[in-house]
Amino acid sequence: MNNNNGLTKTHRLVLTAILFSIAIVLSVVEDALPALPVAVPGIKFGLSNIVVMYSLFFINKRQAILIAVLKALFVLLTKGTVAAALSFSGGIVSLAVMTLFLILFKEKISYLSLSILGAVFHNIGQLTAVSFIYTSVYIWAYLPVLLIAGMIAGAATAALLRCSMPVLKKLNG
Amino acid sequence: MFFKKNDIIVVLSIIIISGIWWLAYKFMFSDKPVKAEIYYYSELAYTIDLNSGAEKTFSIPQNDNVIFHLYEDGSICFEQSDCPDKVCVHAGRLSVIGETAACLPNGIVLKIVPKNNRGADDPDIIIG
Repeated sequence: MNNNNGLTKTHRLVLTAILFSIAIVLSVVEDALPALPVAVPGIKFGLSNIVVMYSLFFINKRQAILIAVLKALFVLLTKGTVAAALSFSGGIVSLAVMTLFLILFKEKISYLSLSILGAVFHNIGQLTAVSFIYTSVYIWAYLPVLLIAGMIAGAATAALLRCSMPVLKKLNG
Repeated sequence: MFFKKNDIIVVLSIIIISGIWWLAYKFMFSDKPVKAEIYYYSELAYTIDLNSGAEKTFSIPQNDNVIFHLYEDGSICFEQSDCPDKVCVHAGRLSVIGETAACLPNGIVLKIVPKNNRGADDPDIIIG
């Protein structure tokens, strides 16, 4: 885990701006793709989480939280309160769980596992938020579907993170 | 650091937890009588008993391009729809309380609810 203690304020500002814009572009690209033909609509890969994961794994926790919060604010501006609440709850729960596992297992846990856990808990966080907004316990019927979907999405984003790392690494230099 | 053997443990535990959850959920609600409610632009348009054991194909009066199919085993699905994305048809057969399928282009929502507990007057959604 590199710590970018040597970064200047300006460098950090620029880094945040670039990472956040990559996150926005990824989510726009994802929205433009046709919906996946699966049983539950709304299931997606969460491509912009690649940026959050990159921030957590290779920069620091603060950077990752910042990107997650900025993402939720962007959703608030473009898609409204409910969507923003979902983005925020999913993002924060996912980050908290990934951080927890990183602290607990350190070098023993792989990025693939972390990514899968992050995606699964992103869904759990969102479902919790949905169950508060949509006052119904029956919504938990979807948990198994969302767990499996999260697992697949987490594996996919981990693979994409692996592919895009050479490019992202340049940002730190 | 990217892939490790213990990834298998993570993957397996997620699969096992979802399996157990799904079974527990099915078991908890399987003996409860259920009905399906069909909403047309947020208004309850049609209610159908799923435990009757009858098999039939029907549509709601507001839109006869969308066809529902009720199966003998008490499941129901969107069989056909004229919408472009067919998300409603992909949702497949629903039978467990809480399952929902929607055809947003046509403004139709199909949901499975307990037969007695909740009425159409209960709030569907509360946004603060």
